[in-house]
Amino acid sequence: MNKLIAMVRKELIDAARDKRSVMAGLYYAIGTPLIMCGMFMVLINQLTSPEDLNITINKAENAPDLVRYLSRKGINQADLTAKPDTDVKAITLTITEDYAANMAKAKPAEVIILADNSDEKLQKSIRRLQQELQTYSAEMGSLRLIARGINPQVMQSLKVDMQDQSTPDSKGGMILGIAIFTMIYSVFISAMNLAIDTSAGERERNSLALMLSHPISTRQLVLGKVIAVTLFALLGLMLILLISKIAYTFVPWQELGFSINISTDFMKLMFVIGIPVALLASTLQLFVSFMAKSFKEAQSYLTMVLFVPIALSMAASYNIAPDMLQWIPVSGQQQALMDFIKGKEIPMLQLAVSSIMTIVISLGLMFGMEKMLKSEKVVFGL
Amino acid sequence: MINRKFVSKSLTSRLRHYALPPSATGTRRLAAVIISVLFASSSYASDADQPQPLNTVDAKTHSCHLDGLSEQLQCGKISVPENPQKPDGKHIDIHFAILPAIKDTHPSEALLAIAGGPGQSAIEHAAGFDRLLNKVRQQRDILLIDQRGTGLSNILNCEDAEATSMLSFNDEDVDIIADTEKCLTQTDADITQYGSQTALTDFEAVRTYLGYQKLHLYGVSYGTRMAQLYMRHYPEALSTVTLDGVVPMQQSVVAIGSAIERGFELLMRDCASNQACHTQYPDLLADFKTVDQRLTTKPTEQSVRDPLTNEPSTLLLTRSKFNGAIRMGLYTPAIRALLPHAIHQAAKEDYQPILGIYALSADGIGLAMGMHASVVCGEDIHRISDQMRKDAKESYISSTMMEGLEKTCEIWKVPAVADSFSEPISSDLPTLLLSGELDPATPPNWGALAAKNLTNAKHLISPFATHGVAAQTCANDLIADLVDSASVKKIDASCLEKDIRRSFYLNANSVEPIISTDAGTVAIADEAALTNNATGTDKE
Repeated sequence: MNKLIAMVRKELIDAARDKRSVMAGLYYAIGTPLIMCGMFMVLINQLTSPEDLNITINKAENAPDLVRYLSRKGINQADLTAKPDTDVKAITLTITEDYAANMAKAKPAEVIILADNSDEKLQKSIRRLQQELQTYSAEMGSLRLIARGINPQVMQSLKVDMQDQSTPDSKGGMILGIAIFTMIYSVFISAMNLAIDTSAGERERNSLALMLSHPISTRQLVLGKVIAVTLFALLGLMLILLISKIAYTFVPWQELGFSINISTDFMKLMFVIGIPVALLASTLQLFVSFMAKSFKEAQSYLTMVLFVPIALSMAASYNIAPDMLQWIPVSGQQQALMDFIKGKEIPMLQLAVSSIMTIVISLGLMFGMEKMLKSEKVVFGL
Repeated sequence: MINRKFVSKSLTSRLRHYALPPSATGTRRLAAVIISVLFASSSYASDADQPQPLNTVDAKTHSCHLDGLSEQLQCGKISVPENPQKPDGKHIDIHFAILPAIKDTHPSEALLAIAGGPGQSAIEHAAGFDRLLNKVRQQRDILLIDQRGTGLSNILNCEDAEATSMLSFNDEDVDIIADTEKCLTQTDADITQYGSQTALTDFEAVRTYLGYQKLHLYGVSYGTRMAQLYMRHYPEALSTVTLDGVVPMQQSVVAIGSAIERGFELLMRDCASNQACHTQYPDLLADFKTVDQRLTTKPTEQSVRDPLTNEPSTLLLTRSKFNGAIRMGLYTPAIRALLPHAIHQAAKEDYQPILGIYALSADGIGLAMGMHASVVCGEDIHRISDQMRKDAKESYISSTMMEGLEKTCEIWKVPAVADSFSEPISSDLPTLLLSGELDPATPPNWGALAAKNLTNAKHLISPFATHGVAAQTCANDLIADLVDSASVKKIDASCLEKDIRRSFYLNANSVEPIISTDAGTVAIADEAALTNNATGTDKE
């Protein structure tokens, strides 16, 4: 036991010595939430329609009531002569010449919206204009019925009540999926540098053989490395959780109609669920690095191998995954976390199965490493 | 037929604003239109629905759905003694609903929205409050409480067993005393316990139950009385107050007779000063008087189609139905715009538009009439002054209403509140008062009266709004500003000046006058008269 503790200490001291590569591993955990939040802030501003939507209205004098109605709803006729620096959206509403004549005869009065519907920045504003025009049209239709002695309710043959089962948290499910994905990914990324350094790196520095010549078993050596790398992975996870908790509150999610809240409960759960994942991350990366002949080779292999957990996590976050993914390591945990944050019941069985599978795979990999390190080929990278 | 499809689809989404709650027919319901005092604007009205419990989130509330809102909300109830003096006596449930904040940055605060009436259910109008207070809700919970005697909280209502046709029955023959007696026998509630001050203790009990430290208040119409009482009795629990369509404590609501008259005169003035309307209806007041005279002599009987079912029916148009329909129309800007046309047609003995407007409120206006009576009989009827009585004689609506209420209160015996009830509110809480110039119920001078002893208040008057300013103007944004800054100093009311008035209907189809062009379009009105002032954008 003492030997094991000594091993872990040695690995951690080793890791801490190379501050630059340690930090490089943790930059991801610190940077990702910040970058994501910055990106969302910009996106939200771009995608929401401004409170005062200024558009060009041609022939406004043909429909003064409509123009006043729109301005009440915040859709204004741009007045460039009075305020030349107003932000005018590229939407033109033209009221036709025979608007009033058609209206008086209860024929549909025509208005034309001229805009580029493929412009994502405009889409919300265009939809808003269309909606207000429809509301106006409907209101006028109701009033026409009233003027004819008919209750406008006759037009509402169905009353459709939508009873949405989503919670405020689940509405942000997509974004939360991405957030959880970045967290799981950070477990892998934070561990990567150390995993390579402590295996392939140690071998290149010729200290691996030296280590093995000491009176310790390969099992102790492997365990020491695994524990050190796992601790590092968990450190990365903790960092990204803390930073996400703070950073996400600064994004004006409410403008999208939901909120993203990294609760303390979620952080605890994520951390506990993250422990087997971190174990998998460290054993997998150590195993691959030991397999590789050199440091560089290890790096290339790892980038490829990492694609598997990333793909699993990504698939689960988009809700398009087949149910089978619930039982598989990484994606099982990801789905359980998403269910938790959406306020649903956590699928305990699936979570247990995927977590146990994660641990079993990790143990297998550890066992494999123990075997590998008995071979000279691996120890000397022959 | 793509067009038709488009129209009907969009119509249905909008209809809720015009259709009032369908409910049991009954003579009491109809009398409600004529004698009820305030009621908030019908733009709030939507169909009632029972909250449906789904699953328990925590002990205090359960998630539920309310009509017109698709998302999950939180509902709950507390049990309070019906009579606070007898804590061991009969208990009633006070129901409440929470529209949770989108991003709950102030979990210890909520905005309590108080409905009008007296007698409207706040929970029934959740969708309207949600639209109205959308910005406040971004960061704070919106709390709705069904005041005792309304909605889900032990509603005091009067339903008549026999169905009467709203169209053919003579509402002027209603025996209010007998009806009230019948209603009284139906209820086992202690009707003296449904006044504003008792209800206020329920509000405060809900606040402490839910653990909110501070409330922002938004009261509309009669709800402003509840808000003012809150300011008087529990100022420490409040952060800001918004009073919309203000009923000052000094004023008996029965006095709204003169406000109705005023609202009607403003309609006449607005049409006369608007070129298009004036050209189309040059003698609108005379038109009105013609119909009023005609119906005073004898109610008109006509064969019509039922506005909703299309069944052949008989319409007995009485003076009181005619005046009641116009009064209802004055509340909602869109329907107000139709009134000149409706009056003009009525003068020509075409009663279809009046029938259409009347039909909107014929099913009742969603007031719990028992609770309405408990409030008015305890708090207002004893405050009728000789001057009010004299004024009321001048006006048909005022006198009918006062008479009806006095008869009701003879039977609906509620002890009068103490004189201190009528004292103006003194407070330094940040208070925003909103009045609509065109309000047919609570005119701007009532707002000024309420603001008398408020040292930290701002009274805003929208030149274009009727009853319920926040729902019609940008004032709902100003409420959000007030709630955010907790100060009336920074409120920029310039947006209220924006001309948002609706043009009057010039016929059964259109609000836009036809401007003659070279193409030779048919002109409705004289071209020269229209060139400068096409649709009444003239400023006063």
